[in-house]
Amino acid sequence: MKLRESVRIGWRAITGHKLRSTLTTVGVIIGIASVIVFMVLGGAFTENVVGDLDDESEPVMQVVTQTEPETGTGIMFVEAPIYTESDVEAIEGMDGVDYVAPSGSLPAVQLSHGEESQTGTVGVEATIPERFGNESMYPLEDGETFSPSADDEAVVSGQVARLFEDNVSVGDELSITFEDGETETVTAVGIANTTVGGQPSQPTVYLPVDSHYELTIETPDGETERAYPSLEVRAESMDDVDPTKEAITEYFETDADARELKDDEHTIAVQTVDDAVDQVAGIVDQLTVFIGGIAAISLVVGSIGIANIMIVSVTERTREIGVMKAVGARKRDIVQLFLLESVILGAIGAVVGVAAGIGLGYLAVSMLGWPMVYPLQWIAIAAAVGVGVGVLSGLYPAWRAASVDPIEALRRE
Amino acid sequence: MSTGEPASEGGSPVVARDVRRTYYMGESVDALDGVSLSLPAGSYTAVMGPSGSGKSTLMNLLGCLDTPDEGTVEIGGRSVGDLSGGERARLRGTEIGFVFQTFNLMPRLTAAENVTLPLVFHDGVEAGRHERAETLLSRVGLGDRLDHAPNELSGGQRQRVAIARALANEPTLLLADEPTGNLDTETGNEILAVFDELQAAGRTILMVTHERRVAERADRIVHLIDGELAEIEQLEGKR
Ligand SMILES: Nc1ncnc2c1ncn2[C@@H]1O[C@H](COP(=O)(O)OP(=O)(O)O)[C@@H](O)[C@H]1O
Ligand SMILES: [Mg+2]
Repeated sequence: MKLRESVRIGWRAITGHKLRSTLTTVGVIIGIASVIVFMVLGGAFTENVVGDLDDESEPVMQVVTQTEPETGTGIMFVEAPIYTESDVEAIEGMDGVDYVAPSGSLPAVQLSHGEESQTGTVGVEATIPERFGNESMYPLEDGETFSPSADDEAVVSGQVARLFEDNVSVGDELSITFEDGETETVTAVGIANTTVGGQPSQPTVYLPVDSHYELTIETPDGETERAYPSLEVRAESMDDVDPTKEAITEYFETDADARELKDDEHTIAVQTVDDAVDQVAGIVDQLTVFIGGIAAISLVVGSIGIANIMIVSVTERTREIGVMKAVGARKRDIVQLFLLESVILGAIGAVVGVAAGIGLGYLAVSMLGWPMVYPLQWIAIAAAVGVGVGVLSGLYPAWRAASVDPIEALRRE
Repeated sequence: MSTGEPASEGGSPVVARDVRRTYYMGESVDALDGVSLSLPAGSYTAVMGPSGSGKSTLMNLLGCLDTPDEGTVEIGGRSVGDLSGGERARLRGTEIGFVFQTFNLMPRLTAAENVTLPLVFHDGVEAGRHERAETLLSRVGLGDRLDHAPNELSGGQRQRVAIARALANEPTLLLADEPTGNLDTETGNEILAVFDELQAAGRTILMVTHERRVAERADRIVHLIDGELAEIEQLEGKR
């Protein structure tokens, strides 16, 4: 029996029950559409972040300590102060390094501006003045950066400035209360734009490291030095990033203080902006696949729906099957006929599902202002899955149809 | 009883030898109990008998839908019992045409598509199929109903479509199980006239009926009782 002939006859059967066929494919449509929507959203989100990061790409890298959690997968950051002043100086001395900004968070509990106070939401970080400025990682929206050792100057992020109903402007005084109960009053000398890749960062008050950071550690050489939980290194140009990263990585593998100070199971990582992008993309990918997987469960439901209707259809058409056998249909003709019918149902579900998924995804993405992404390989997968669902759910009904005894079928009145 | 090889001109004879078919429904029932019958080429045979006497069972065996538990059925010299399911399907699709009491048309196919249904399974050639349907339907007086669905046709018209379908493969043997059973007398007579024409054109026909009046259109009447062949009645004025 020719495939074309089966398509013609199968299509007749499908269109003979329009409502039923439509309802049958709805399950597959919903399953495939939701998978596609999530893939569009995930892809668009990544594209959005990556695009923004690429736009304002800075020759900056972060030196961080990581560990693998004992249970589960992924990577956790460790906030251990292991990067000493000697390390900072050693890296500063390397070719192609613009600055090394040590940073360490200070244990602040409350931030006040005039009558208003914020608790908990604001971080306070000790760092160096070079990070802020038009040529730096964080451009200034207003004012200037603090002087290296001033003890009453601060740069605040735009998020902090707008946190208060009475926005913080340059020259305003802020009081910071620390965990030990001490309160310091500083003047906001600059407001920095600290959004990274279009994503707002935590509202942070930045203070000069020299006048505020006191955490020290005994170095392997027996000296007492300040030590930081992470470093930010800026290369002189984008071209310097890779060689610098290599040099720094090697340094941490050979004679850095941090190498000896860190826990054995911890590792030191030097992350460029590209690495960060990859990491974000990786996490988003995992999440998308996970959510997509959940959506795929509805495909299983959809295929059960098709199988169910096909079984009903076989029962209803027992007599027709008997007739076809009487006029010469072989078992495999009947299998082909019914299998094709459920494949057509699955394929319709896939086509409509992909179209609906792209449409809905496009709508959502445009509302969020993200770039549209067509998840081509997922569209291909969805199409294959649709046909696969058709085959799987059609196998048993088709086998049942082929096993119909024509004599029994024709005796039925 | 007339067994043995009949003289045949054109087309192969169909022969049943000592055929037994037993059904088990709690206890065993011999639907056919040692029946021998041969259908010479071009013959027109009626099968009569009370309900449950094995008429349909005999027809199914001669039509390759079923195989005997004992004895043999030969079509064109080949024993049906030795054939695979696929080979028997091929035989049904190429050598045999069925006509049923309840027409048994495919409800979602047009008259023309119903007529050419047997070709779908055993003839890859699609070209000229519609013309073939037109010729066959014209022969049964339905040349103007090609694209009608079965439910748009009367009972008599449906049976004509079924006959046209049975002829689609130029079968050696035409089997009809009470073809007029669901029709009024007048329409039934029209259908019987079609069978008369087919016999005149040289077809081999076996027709099951329980009406004497209908059976008398044939050359001879085979009487079945309780699964046994009681008598073969040669009708006068026929050959
Ligand atoms: N599929 C079957 N299962 C069980 N018994 C059957 C089956 N087909 C026919 N029979 C029995 O075989 C006998 C002959 O049936 P059938 O050939 O249909 O008779 P007829 O067509 O003469 O009315 C009946 O007793 C019937 O009940
Ligand atoms: Mg019967």
